[in-house]
Order: sequence, then C-alpha cells, then structure tokens
Amino acid sequence: MHLHVASACSPRYGVAAPEALVRRAAEMGMDLLALTDRDGLYGAVRHVAACREHGVRPVVGADLAAGSGRVVVLAAGARGWASLCRLVTAAHAGERGRPAVTRETVAAHAAGLTVLLGPSSDVGRAVAEHRPDLAAARLAAWREAVPVAVEVVDHLGRGEAHRAARTVALAREAGVPAVLANAVRYLDPGDFPVAQVLDVARRGVPLHRSHLDDRTGHAYLKSPEEMRRVAERFHTPAEAEALLAATRELGESCVLDPGRDLGMGRAHLPDAGDDPYARLVARCEEGLRRRGLGDAARARLDHELGIVARRGLAAYFLTVADAAALIRGRGIRCAIRGSGAGSLVNHLLGISDLDPLRHDLVMERFLSDGRPGLPDIDLDVESARRTEAYRALFDRFGEDAVACVSMRETYRARSAIRDVGAAVGLPPHEIDAIAKAFPHIRARQIGDALRDLPELRQSNLGRARLEVVFTIARRLDGLPRHIALHPCGVLLSDATLRDRTPVEPSLLGFPMSQFDKRDVEAMGLLKLDVIGVRMQSAMAHAVAEVERVGGGRLALERVPRDDPATFALIRSARTLGCFQIESPGQRELLGRLQPRTLDDLVIDISLFRPGPVASDMVTPFLEARDGRREPVYPHPDLAGALRESLGVVVFHEQVLRVLDVMTGCGLSEAEAARRRLADATGQAEVGAWFRERASARGHDAATVERVWRTLAAFGAFGFCKAHAAAFALPTYQSAWLKRHHPAAFYAGVLTHDPGMYPKRVILHDARHFGVPVLPLDVNRSAPDWHVEPVAHGGTAGIRVALNEVRGISGAEVDRIVTARPYRSLTDFWRRARVSRPTAERLVLAGAFDALYDRHDRRDLLLRVGALERSAPRPVEGQLAFDDDLDDDLDAAGGTERIPAGELPPMTPGERVRAELEILGLDVSEHVLTRYADLLAALGVVRARDLPGRPHGAEVLVAGAKVATQTPPVRSGQRVIFATLDDVTGPVDLAFFESVQDRCAATVFGSWLLLARGRVRRAGPRAVSLTATDCWDLAWLHEEWRAGGADAVRRAMARTDPGRGRPVGGRRLFATGFAASPYSDVTPAGGAVGRPLWHTSGGSSGPLP
Amino acid sequence: MTRVFGDPIEVATAADGRPRGFVWRGHEYTVRRVLEHWVTTRDWWHERDLADMEPGEREYWRVEASPGRETGVYELRHDAVTGVWTLARMWD
Repeated sequence: MHLHVASACSPRYGVAAPEALVRRAAEMGMDLLALTDRDGLYGAVRHVAACREHGVRPVVGADLAAGSGRVVVLAAGARGWASLCRLVTAAHAGERGRPAVTRETVAAHAAGLTVLLGPSSDVGRAVAEHRPDLAAARLAAWREAVPVAVEVVDHLGRGEAHRAARTVALAREAGVPAVLANAVRYLDPGDFPVAQVLDVARRGVPLHRSHLDDRTGHAYLKSPEEMRRVAERFHTPAEAEALLAATRELGESCVLDPGRDLGMGRAHLPDAGDDPYARLVARCEEGLRRRGLGDAARARLDHELGIVARRGLAAYFLTVADAAALIRGRGIRCAIRGSGAGSLVNHLLGISDLDPLRHDLVMERFLSDGRPGLPDIDLDVESARRTEAYRALFDRFGEDAVACVSMRETYRARSAIRDVGAAVGLPPHEIDAIAKAFPHIRARQIGDALRDLPELRQSNLGRARLEVVFTIARRLDGLPRHIALHPCGVLLSDATLRDRTPVEPSLLGFPMSQFDKRDVEAMGLLKLDVIGVRMQSAMAHAVAEVERVGGGRLALERVPRDDPATFALIRSARTLGCFQIESPGQRELLGRLQPRTLDDLVIDISLFRPGPVASDMVTPFLEARDGRREPVYPHPDLAGALRESLGVVVFHEQVLRVLDVMTGCGLSEAEAARRRLADATGQAEVGAWFRERASARGHDAATVERVWRTLAAFGAFGFCKAHAAAFALPTYQSAWLKRHHPAAFYAGVLTHDPGMYPKRVILHDARHFGVPVLPLDVNRSAPDWHVEPVAHGGTAGIRVALNEVRGISGAEVDRIVTARPYRSLTDFWRRARVSRPTAERLVLAGAFDALYDRHDRRDLLLRVGALERSAPRPVEGQLAFDDDLDDDLDAAGGTERIPAGELPPMTPGERVRAELEILGLDVSEHVLTRYADLLAALGVVRARDLPGRPHGAEVLVAGAKVATQTPPVRSGQRVIFATLDDVTGPVDLAFFESVQDRCAATVFGSWLLLARGRVRRAGPRAVSLTATDCWDLAWLHEEWRAGGADAVRRAMARTDPGRGRPVGGRRLFATGFAASPYSDVTPAGGAVGRPLWHTSGGSSGPLP
Repeated sequence: MTRVFGDPIEVATAADGRPRGFVWRGHEYTVRRVLEHWVTTRDWWHERDLADMEPGEREYWRVEASPGRETGVYELRHDAVTGVWTLARMWD
C-alpha cells in the first residue's frame, strides 16, 4: 500500500493516470491505495472509481504547499472528505496560482483529517539540517493543531537513509506514529525522465541536476517487497515490520466509502421546495395551455412525466427551467441544444423553443428509464454575454451553491515539443519553428507525423538531431499541463456544494470546481452546460442594428420557418456566415441536397458528420431524394421510422424506433441498447439480444439479419435528431437574416466572428450581396460594426468598426466616440487623446480620408508626428481648450509646415497593404486586384465562371487562401481541402495524397496561391477542383515582373519540391531542421494581428 | 584528508550488489562495513540515444575497507550501464 501518490492529474508533476496506478497496485497485490495529488483533489474521483473497479480500498488526500514546504493531508470519513474539500478550497483562496495552507488553516478544518509530515515539511527539513530540537518543536506545534504522523521517505538519494533513521527516532521520542511512503510520481522505474522534464518545465528552467525534484529515479510505485527493502536500509527487519504495520494501520483508518463518505451514486440537487413533482405537473399543464397543444401532446406529456417521476427528477427540471428563465429574463438570447430538445417537458417549461411533436422527436434519447445519472441539458447563449449569464446563476442560487466545471489542458505535440525543447536547452526561436512545423496532433503521433507528412519530411526533422526531444515529447502525450475553466459547465447545487467539491478561482474569477465534467457526473452534481455561441451574439447584434436604424423590433423566434426566399438562398449555397452551413463541404452538400424545409436542414446538418460521411450514407439518400433510386426499407414495418430519410438510418431516434419495432422492447430499453452499439463487445451483445427478440416476434432470419446489418453499420454513427433540429433553428434564423437584413447580418457576423472564415472573406461576401462596405471613419465608425443607411437610398451599408484597428484600446475607442465630431486631424489629436501608434494606424487605414480630399494618407501620417512634437494636449481633468486656431492642417504642424502633395500619394496596392496590416481587411479593394494582369495573362478562371466549365476540364485558379482543412474522409487518406477567394467568390480545392509531396508545403505556408486542377461537378450547384499543382502567387508575380510570361511559365515548370516557396531558400537550424524563411511569418501583408485564413487542427504551419 | 581519484578498480560483490572487496593499484581491500549507499540518474539530456534508461544508474557505496590493518573510508562508484567500477574518493 502507498499513502503518498501523485497522479498525472497533478499538473506538471505526476506522470501516471489514476487508473493506471490503481491497476498496478492491484496487480502487485495491494488492497489499499491513496491518491494525494498536489494542491488539489484533481484525480480523486477517478481514483475512487478505479479502486472500486479493481477491488482496492481508496484513500484520498492532498499534497499541499505549507509555508515553504509541503504536507500531505489525508481524509477519514464523510467529515474528513468535507474538511479536505474545504481545506483545499481555502488553500486556493489567496493569490491565484499560488495555493498554500498554514498550520492555522489546517487547524480550522481539522475534523477527520490526518497530516503527514514528510521530508519536505518544515519538520522534515529540520531533521535534514540536523536540528533535532527544532524538528521536535515544529512537530509539537503541528500536533497541537491536528492529528499527525511522521512520514518517512527514502528514494535512495545521498544521505536519505540516515535521514530516514533520524526521522523515525524523532517520531519515537515524540510518541507520534511514523509511516513509510514513497512519494510516488510515476508507474515504472523507466518513467523518471518524464518526471524530470516536468520538474524543469514547472519551474521554467533547463534540465540540470540542481533543478530536479527527482534525482534518483526511485519515485515509482514500488511493490510491497521493494518497500520492505527500503525500510530495511535504515531498520532491522523487526523495526521495518513495525513501520510497515503502522503505515497499514493509518491507511486503514482513512479508507473512504464512495457512497457514504463522498456521496457518490446519488444526485445532489438544489433545494426545489416542497413537492417538486406536483409543481412540475402544474407548470407543464400551464405550458400546454400557453402553447395551445392538444390531445396528442397530453398523451406524450403523461408518458414523459411518468419517466420523470420514476427517476425522481422533478427538482432537476424545475431548476433548469428556473435557470433558463433567469438567463432569458436578462434579455440574453438562449436556445437549447442537444437531445433535450426532444423532450416535451422542456418545451412546456420554456427551456426549449422547439416543439418535439412537430419535428417527430423522441424523449428517450434524452431521458429514459434505464439510464443512470442526471440527463444533460445544454443551453446556447450569446457568447458575448456568457459571463453575465453565469453571474445571474451565482446570484440566484447563491455563491456557495454554484461552481463552474474545470477541464484539464493536456500536452499535445506542439506544447510537448515546446516544453521538452526548452528543457534540453534548444534556442527559443528554433523550438518555436519546430513546434509550428507540426499540425495540431497528439504528442504520441509525433513519430508517425514525421514519417507520414510530406511537409515534415521535407523539413529534415526526421534526420535532425532531435531524437531526444521527440522521444520524451511523445511520452508527455495527454498529461495535464494545467486546469482551466470548462467552456460551459456550471454546477447548480445547494449550500453543501463546498463539502462535495474543492473549488479554485478561474482566470475570470469564477469559483471553479477541481472536478471535470466526468467527475461531477460521478459525484451526482447537476451540471448545466451554458455554452457561449458567437452566432447567438451575432444575431442579437443584427436584431439590435435593425431596430437602431428604424427597422422595428424583430422577434426571430416568431419568424415564419418556411420562407421561400430564405430557402432559395440556402439552395444557392452562398451561405458564408450562416450557422452550421458555411464550410466548403457543407456548401457542396447544400448544392446536392437542395433543402426546401426546416426538416431538410435537420437532415443536412445530420448528414454532414464524420460518421455519415465515412460510411457514405449521403449518396444513397441523395439518390433516393433525386428519384434516381426507390427508397429501400429493410422491412415494410420500418417504413414509418425511416421514411423521413428515405430508408437511410440517419438519426439516433431512428435506431431507437427500429429496435422498438423489431423487438417490442420500448424506447427506453432501445436507448440503452443503442448506447452499447458504440464498442465491439456491446455490439455483439446487443446483436445476440436483437436476433433473439426479433425472431421471437416472428421475423424471419433473413429480415432480422438485414435489419441488424443496417443498425450495426449506421447505429453508432447516426446523429441525434433533436440536436440537429435544435441547430437547424439558428441555422435558418441566420440565413433568414442574411436574406432579409443583409447589412445587419454582416454587421453582426463581423462584430462577433462566429464562423470559420476570416473577416475579410465575410467582408467580400457582403460585397457580392451588394452591401456597400463603408471605410473606417473617425467621425462615423462605431466601436462595433454598424449598419449605415447610404445617402441615395439604396441598400444600407456596413461601416468598418473602430475595434478592428490593431492595438487600439477600449479606452481609446470610448474617447474617440465620445469626443466627436472632429473637424480635423489636429482637432482629433487634441481631444481624442489616442496614442501615436493608434493615430498613425487610423490615418493609414483611411479613417481621415473623408475629412481631406487634398491630402493623401501619407501626408497625414507625417502630420501625426509633427502634432506629437508640437501640439499641446489638455491634461486629463483639465478643461479641453478649444482655442479655435485656424484648424487648417498646414498650421497644425506648428513650425513644421508640410504642404499638401509634397509626398507621392499611396498607390492603391499600398493602401490595401496598409489596411491588411492594420485591420486584417482589404477594404479599399480586393487584395487580388493588383495581380489582375498576371491572372489574365495566364488565363486563370474566376470562381464566378467555374460552374460553366465541364466536368474534368483542367483549369488554373487563383486567390487568397481562406481556409485549409484536413477532415477525416472516407478513404482514410489525408486530403487537404483549401478554399481560395478570388474577388468573384470562393474556389474549393482538394489536394489528394498523390500531389501533397509537391503541394503541401505551399498550401500550408503561402497565403496567395495559384493552383491547377480538374473541375469536379458533384451536383447542380456544387463545383470544386481536384488540384494537381500549386504555386505561391506572390513569387510568380515577382518572376513575371522580372521576366514576363515566359519566366512565369519556366517557374511553374520547375519540379523541385521547394519551388512553391518565396525566394530566400530555406533556413537551416543547428539541429538540421529546415524551414521556409517565411514559415513563421504571415506572408504578404506583413504581420497582421489576426488570422487571414482558417486552419483546421490537422493543418501544419503557423497559425495565420 | 579527502583525496579524489577516478581510478578504475576491480570489485567483488555479494548477491545483493554490495561490494565485498576491491583491488586498487595492485592492493586488495576488504570491505568491513557499508557506511552509505545511494544512487543518481545520469544526465541523459546530454546524450543522443535514450535506449535502456534505468533509474539509479550511477551507484555509490561509501565503505570502510582495509588493505591490511589500517582502515580507511572509500567511495566506490558503479556505472550500471557499462558495469565499470571506479574509486571516486577516499579518506584516510
């Protein structure tokens, strides 16, 4: 047995997962194991669960910083568990990130706790320093405060055996029990290099003996026999036996019972008052009347209420309804997501806007008789107001009864390479370049990536002298680095919550449980997912803009859900900016599927998932839908369940119905069976059960087998229809806004940036839809994007927001808006009082163009400098003086007279470049405009003209890269999907593995691309290219200017793999790693503060 | 006084690895008593090949030993990977 064990849940300290430690302990014949993570109970729930599985008795404690040392605190009984939770919370109450207890804090929570004073406690350090009197005094002080034991550890380091002997002597003299521990950090002896890397990564220093906690490699989970040998290093065998016996005695007194002591296995809901069920029924009745639903709904309600009653969850629903009403009451847009949309109770309580009967949704996918634990209700709220929603919940349920859920950020390839690279002392710029060369993959995939990815093969990484780094980096895979606020989980409970979970402050200051979402489920705590959704904020902004410019108050929830114009827009697949349906793959699917109703959108969203794509459910469905194939039903009885998707199993709900129809098991049991389809064992068991039940119902063997094959093939992949239906609503609403209030829609999308595309792409999409883009203007631009009616009464335009200016502060934006209008640059300089860089950026981005027609941006830029040197500005608090000096610019520079027109005006190309640098947006013209001559000379086909090209035609296309994605595809290949934007619209390209050797580095590394490919027509409106080659357009442009069209053709004909790179060759690092000199800077347009293109996790190269 | 060496020595060990005697500069020493035993890991981060890493690969034994009648204190170092023993330090 071990009493002092840190798991990997101790960030940057432990190496082994709690489950692995328990499994090993059980294998070594131990029947008791403690987990004592550092400064928290991070792994406690997993430890207790693993112990239960392996028949090991669990002990839980924490290894807490105390003064300049550390002590281990073990809990006994329910009282001890509550004390430990509150003590850990108290340890984190001080400065964030520096948890610590004092003897006094421990004393204040002493009930049920035992403190182990080991080598790193103040007592242990006095022993090490050969100061027995001091050690005895400190030990006595601890004894006053709390029950204690002295902890002996010997890792076989120099002097440790002697120290252990002195420690035991101290305990004996004081009459305090001594126990033996091994301060375990890892599982196997060979794991020590990982612990050593974590030691230096935690401290931010390079590997050196003096920086290591672990210098001997003996902090592993030793067997009982090994521990006995350790004891015999400083003891006679009889003394060793006594020490081990005392250790066992303390361990057994601290064994926790998961149910009795931790409260696992039952729900701890907020107090919902008396007879919650009666109140739930009454509120549902009231909901039936309010929503005007009839008899069918009543039957369904009775069915659902039956399940709620049997599961004892009335208080749960009342609490969630309360929370949703609270959020909506603050005027925050709030929509349900996930399986909860299938419940009529949720609809009647006002949690969900979707009528499950109308969309034919079932409740059991969400809540059934069989499934243990609490159901999950997820609420989507405006991302910009998520913390406001949290605040409301804290206010309503009480500060002590609410906590956010945490999550563990773990090591992945890039972060592991960074930390190990720093540990072994590689130069920072080299570490940076190497880490960024990898896609966002798991650390354990580093070796495979080096072998498989052409862009890494070309970089020499595999041959470089980096083996040590990669070997250790791989071993960091999945280890937690720190805990962070879960993006949405909130625990709602009663005042005993702090007895059930330790909390620490999150970065935003919210109390955050040390448990993650799986832990809180095991602890029976009610978790509500309040998810910040940018699209909800974008739509809220759009609605507010419509109202601001006099278009009245829109109620999106009440907009008719069958608007033909909206569906015409969706069918055109020009859906950039719309929720869920803007990606290249989705636009292609829209082109093929041609949705006409909300139910079509539900199917569209469900089909566009890795599972359905991988198992090719899309093709048979589309064939049946287009009438090219009769729908095939495995059995006529199943037509009812499968008609909506023409015989193809798309939804989880259909799997439930098929199981129910064939076996008569009822939907609750069907849901339990569906959940088990995910793994092979469960599938085999469910298969046997299904065959038996279906045959017993009189189905012939062939039918049973046919139906089962369908279920087995699609059952695990299908999508929850309720979830898709919940998503289809905001999808439709966003498309409706784009169709009917385009300017407001774009203002919302550009302000809240909800989608995958960079803002410059959305901006050009606005142009394609005829929405005028109005430039940045100090007198007109608002903090956010605004709708602005144009003078001649045409379509309203959108005005570039001040917040888009790189580096501008919130205070500067506020001052600019408050103090306007401005008559001149001088006036602005005096009264808006922005920093000089901000003023210069405003000038360069064109914010003063409207004030001056005589002066170019370059002229004005000079004057900013002159103003800073000469023009006085009022001091804060002093009255702004307006001396009405003639506000002519020529006077503004004081003695520095700079006449207009002295400098050459900025060319259109220079203006666009400045705009890209400052705003990340090409406002005055499209960035590709300056390449128009080259594109014409090469005969490049524009996006607008692609639909006219025949299938298989070879064409050249060009554009600014908008996105690269490497989604899983059916063949298992890595296909790189790239989208270019070429002024007339998007061009979608697929690079298959056969061309990646010559193309991958360019696709990931360059921004402006020229590509050759063959036209692929997948449907009436769906056109994409299968790429065969690509080049960096900026580089070709250089060649063109130097040597004309011939030089470009020569450049395009070169075959070496590095040809796509801009001039400059490759930068070779000392380790042999080679990278493009431009691989860590944003190509063309300079360093922009925001992404110019979207990359999926599988993309290599720098974050743009 | 302390003297620091680094001379290779031949060591006879017991079954549990503790030294029983050693030969240094042609003289035989008998180990009378083990005073202390400790281990360290090696500085693997300076190396290129990480195969076969084990904990406690550098093993130190501080022993009382005597070539004849006089007893001195000797620190013997054992490298578990190469199997080489060296006399690290001595006090006499």
